[in-house]
Amino acid sequence: MKKRLWTLAAALMLPLAAFAMTLDQAKSQGLLGEQPDGFLGVVKATPDAVALAQEINQKRRDAYLSIARKNGISLEQVAALAGQKAIERTAKGEYIKTPEGQWVKK
Amino acid sequence: MKIWVVPMALTTMMLAACSPRVALEAPKEPITINLNVKIEHEIRVKVDKDLDALFDKESGLF
Repeated sequence: MKKRLWTLAAALMLPLAAFAMTLDQAKSQGLLGEQPDGFLGVVKATPDAVALAQEINQKRRDAYLSIARKNGISLEQVAALAGQKAIERTAKGEYIKTPEGQWVKK
Repeated sequence: MKIWVVPMALTTMMLAACSPRVALEAPKEPITINLNVKIEHEIRVKVDKDLDALFDKESGLF
């Protein structure tokens, strides 16, 4: 019984840990970057990076949508504000997309 | 000389009649603009807060 609980706890914690590390890794390795539209963009397309970007962007969309509904504004407005914030918070050496659509290292 | 008195009085009256109308219309615009900015600003601040929470949460989304 105790062992089963540990397995459950580990199973619950594992995806979160792996997920967070993978995004940080993907960013620091220059595979993914932040875009002004509030979503992750693929700088260098590896299968892992593309899959991760898709997964996180879907979750971001859900989160933006609930914030948009709560405040009575559009998803795009929330996403644009998030994009601005994400770019501001991007660490030096990681990629950000300019409004003109070019990837630059911050 | 007396002929000038009438048009001058008329001009003065017209100017006097016009100026209050301008003065009445002027305050309308800034009030409307201020209201709009205030609402947008409030929402912006609220959304900003919600986004900060999303960023700080250990969601791994950022």
